[in-house]
Amino acid sequence: MKGISLLEGKYAVTMDPYPQQSKEFNRIHPFYENLRQKRFTTTRCRSCGWRSFPPRVICPECLSTELEWVDLPVRGRVLVVTEEETGVPAGFDPPLIHALIDLDGQLTYFGRVINCATGELKEGDEVKLAVFRVEPVPVDAKKGAVILQERVFFAFEKVK
Amino acid sequence: MRNVCVIAGGQSTWGLRRASQRDLFQEAGKACFDSNDLISNKNIDGLIVASAGTGRCSLQTHLAPLVAEYLGIKPESVCARVELSGASGSAGIIMAYGLIKSGVADVVMVAGGEKLHLPQCREADYSGPGSLDRDWDGAMGLGLPPLFALAAKQHMKKYGTTEEQMALVAVKNRRNGMNNPKGQFREPVDLKTALNAKTVVQPLKLFDCCPVTDGAAAIILAVEDKARYFTDQPLVYIRGCAQASAGNMTANMASWTTWEALKTAARQAYRNARIQPQDVDVAQTHDCFTIAEIIAYEDLGFCEKGEGGCFIQEGKADFGGQVPVNTDGGLLSCGHPPGATGIRQGIEIMRQLRGDAVRQVAGARIGLTHNLSGAISAHTVVVYGRDLE
Ligand SMILES: [Zn+2]
Repeated sequence: MKGISLLEGKYAVTMDPYPQQSKEFNRIHPFYENLRQKRFTTTRCRSCGWRSFPPRVICPECLSTELEWVDLPVRGRVLVVTEEETGVPAGFDPPLIHALIDLDGQLTYFGRVINCATGELKEGDEVKLAVFRVEPVPVDAKKGAVILQERVFFAFEKVK
Repeated sequence: MRNVCVIAGGQSTWGLRRASQRDLFQEAGKACFDSNDLISNKNIDGLIVASAGTGRCSLQTHLAPLVAEYLGIKPESVCARVELSGASGSAGIIMAYGLIKSGVADVVMVAGGEKLHLPQCREADYSGPGSLDRDWDGAMGLGLPPLFALAAKQHMKKYGTTEEQMALVAVKNRRNGMNNPKGQFREPVDLKTALNAKTVVQPLKLFDCCPVTDGAAAIILAVEDKARYFTDQPLVYIRGCAQASAGNMTANMASWTTWEALKTAARQAYRNARIQPQDVDVAQTHDCFTIAEIIAYEDLGFCEKGEGGCFIQEGKADFGGQVPVNTDGGLLSCGHPPGATGIRQGIEIMRQLRGDAVRQVAGARIGLTHNLSGAISAHTVVVYGRDLE
């Protein structure tokens, strides 16, 4: 069963599955701007060198605010596959294929794999970052106008 | 030294209920007061309410004063809500313990409850990401079942744990829950049925997963001198407790098969209680999925790492075994309203240690509850005892 759209207004208290991404709402907006360029990025601390994920505005190790954006690998290898056949969150359609992905030793990411049939993804397969548009979010603008802010999000897909 | 005792407890009927959240809190509060003739709503000086889904499902964020009003309680020491996803109830018990221990409060009710089947039945699936890191794991489409499926797959690969061993947890807990009049499921499940049930997320099948549950529970904690006044039952003490967290987003999970935060919480709780894992006579663990009970045997120290599958298979977690686990049926039978589960566990341990449980572990003196929450990201352990030493 498909989740009900944010904008159809049919579900009284719809859950929007995606975060706010623009600079008005989010100090880590460069992550999403980089994502549009098909870059997978996060922040690293200039003071102590700690690389966080998700990106931050302070370093959780030394509390420095001197952070820089760094690239993470956009290709990885599948360690474990799980296929979810029922009871998925709002806004997603089953089956969902989730994989534990080794991003070149830098991050072990439990990510969704898209454009992939049930039974197709195997341990050891190579996957790559996949960026896609998600539903825009309505934002109040001047003089009562409402603008739709574009948004993106990411998953992974099998390297064929 | 101010010692803290549990002196009363009760719950509403749990399941898919035709009742509102506040109806459920009233049922649980009444069941709690009715369980002990010596105490009434006029004797409670503090109220802690545990609820995780209340903001989303009942649109009622400011909940504790409402529950106080409905139960006729006029709090004077504390009146607040706590949230820790599936461990909210245990979080409430720990907060109440600390406040009583420190002298801020004397007699505190901890009431937990959820109305999850709102505004539609699928709400719990829809809201699942809110108990994870919503912006990252939630936006990936993750809910709770895939996380435990991943843990199960890893545990099977690393330690040879089998689907049959996981199914045996469901069989045991369904059997334990058969005579629990307030539980969601009271029918037993045999091994063959459990193994052949439809898949939810491989390798987890229907009976490996706890259900979505409406329900509430309430327990009363009191400082020892007042506990002696307000009950003629044997006293049950909270001997030690701890909560730990070691990372929240899945990408920061150090291991899926060894839950470091559980090991930390257990170590701290055992130390506070001055016991060893082998001293525990009865335990209620967080069997939201069967694999979680197996990993809990290991990380609570009931058996060696990797031997959790054998522990269930050899009957060591059953009545007559080393430590009977989930004696009232656990989450798999009773259901799982996140705010109420830790309280239901505490009530069952109170009854086991007093000797008046529905299915009694003979001579139990030390009991334990374990809750986990979110993406397996926080763990709560509470040790109860009939004795202080
Ligand atoms: Zn730093």
